[in-house]
Amino acid sequence: MTSRIHHCNLQRLPLILAGIAALCLSGCDQAQPVTYKIPKEQRADTMPTMAAVTTPEKSTPSKMNVLPGMQQAANEAGEVNFTTPEGWEKLTASGIRKANLKVTTDTGSAEITILTFPGDVGGRLANINRWRGQVGLEAATDEDLPAFTTSYDISAHRGLYVRLEGETQSILGALLPFHGSTWFVKMLGDTSTVLANESSMKQFLDSIQIEDHAH
Amino acid sequence: MKALLQFFASLRLTVVLLSLSMVLIFFGTLAQVETGIWKTQKDYFESALAVWAYPEAWIAYDKLYWLRIPMPGGYLLGGMLLVNLIAAHVTRFTLSAKKAGIFLIHIGLILLLISELLTDVLSEESQMPVDEGSSSNYSQEYRNNELVLIDRADPDFDTVHSIPIALLKPGKTVLVPDSPLTIRTISYYPNAQIGRAKEGSAPVDSPANQGVSVKMNVVVTPAAVTYAENEINTATAYVEVLGPEGSLGIWLVSNVIDDRFPPQMVTLGEQSWEIVLRLKRHYYPFAVELLDFSHEKYPGTEIPFNYSSEVMVRHNDTTKNQKALIYMNHPLRYEGLTFYQASFANDDRTSIFQVVRNPGWILPYVSVLLMGVGMLVQFGMHFFKFLKKRATT
Repeated sequence: MTSRIHHCNLQRLPLILAGIAALCLSGCDQAQPVTYKIPKEQRADTMPTMAAVTTPEKSTPSKMNVLPGMQQAANEAGEVNFTTPEGWEKLTASGIRKANLKVTTDTGSAEITILTFPGDVGGRLANINRWRGQVGLEAATDEDLPAFTTSYDISAHRGLYVRLEGETQSILGALLPFHGSTWFVKMLGDTSTVLANESSMKQFLDSIQIEDHAH
Repeated sequence: MKALLQFFASLRLTVVLLSLSMVLIFFGTLAQVETGIWKTQKDYFESALAVWAYPEAWIAYDKLYWLRIPMPGGYLLGGMLLVNLIAAHVTRFTLSAKKAGIFLIHIGLILLLISELLTDVLSEESQMPVDEGSSSNYSQEYRNNELVLIDRADPDFDTVHSIPIALLKPGKTVLVPDSPLTIRTISYYPNAQIGRAKEGSAPVDSPANQGVSVKMNVVVTPAAVTYAENEINTATAYVEVLGPEGSLGIWLVSNVIDDRFPPQMVTLGEQSWEIVLRLKRHYYPFAVELLDFSHEKYPGTEIPFNYSSEVMVRHNDTTKNQKALIYMNHPLRYEGLTFYQASFANDDRTSIFQVVRNPGWILPYVSVLLMGVGMLVQFGMHFFKFLKKRATT
């Protein structure tokens, strides 16, 4: 078929295309917070049963326990060995904690823990921001990281040393990606105690040996 | 411009686009086995570009794991087909009595493509479970959540401040509309496992300093997002609530921390709000009361033969009250919504309705009607021509 272009129609085409584009774009607007009024609602019991939302064992909070997956992951993770720095007190590690230590000075105290979780637990930044929240600091962005983190080798793997100085509470910690899981070593406590123990913390990190089945 | 228009109007393009559509449907079907229908629809048909990856379950995955096949997605193909058809009309077709049938068929097709887009953009689906003998005035989206602050101070009504989950971004703040509060998100997990630490164990490492998390020593473990059809993601977040004077505390909220738990209250002076993260709700000016649910099975089997719900819809405006029977392929259309019988639970005492709001629902019917009439006209014309010819010979 030969093309017989009608000029009047041709002029309308961009309009039609623009209309279609506008229609496509209108789907992209983001939902906004809203306020609305509803008739008085009674909490609990009288609500309809929600099907398939939760498994029966989850439905009674009193029966809940450490999640099966977490405890298992903690059990399966390799053992960890370390040397307790002078002045630190070794407590019994329990549950998902791989190690539990404590240090007390004249001006306060701090707790040192080692934990491990499968995966990257939400990513480096999310975890660091969680810690920042714990010592009353604003959330940071990736660009801010160099200001308070340095790379640090632990148990022959490349980790990240984090120094978070808060007003009353501070954290010295390390994140270590280790063959598909992440280890967290953290000293959390009164700022004076934490800062006074920075060299002990580094000594402690250097002494950590994680059982490694991957090599 | 002329060359461009000719390219978009060419029949060759139509054939290529239709072939690519077949490829997309083929790989979409393969992907559905892995990821379920909801995610496949999003990835393949409601997108401009789809990438198929070699499934882990297939043989020789260890050698072919790198295999990826990119292809144009549904939006791109549908959009191009629409442009193709419109451009073809602009360049080639002139409306004449002889071509009226073809014209109708094409208009129907254009309408069908547009209605599909309208449905994707405008339609909302949610579910409404109702127990026998009780009623419900809201439905909830099983794949979407909201953070709400509920003010119950007024004796006549509750005020709900709702924040869409998409706005809960770690480190970001959101103003709560019509209230003095601001929410700062500490962390957000689209799916997580939530449990209680062992009795007697030390307090868990948690940013929360208020509510259930502290009282019950709750452990949160982030989990991978599930797309399985009968599973719900446990959306979970740590949020800080700020008043005009500063922080009021940090709460753990999650869609499994619901009415079974004591309410988590945010208090500022005389005012207080319950803070809840829940499946996104849609409230209606009417309530659906389930009078009776019946579930018939084929004799001697557990296979459902028919299930139906007898409902009474009670509207604030009582003149709109309506009784209806909802069963398979027989939904209730009411106030721009369609209620389908979707499922049941709780030993046949709870009926679950799929509630669909689709402003464009009538369009596919119109387009199919147009195409049907078009075909009748077109083939009818040929038929009568043939009859005439036969009569003259």
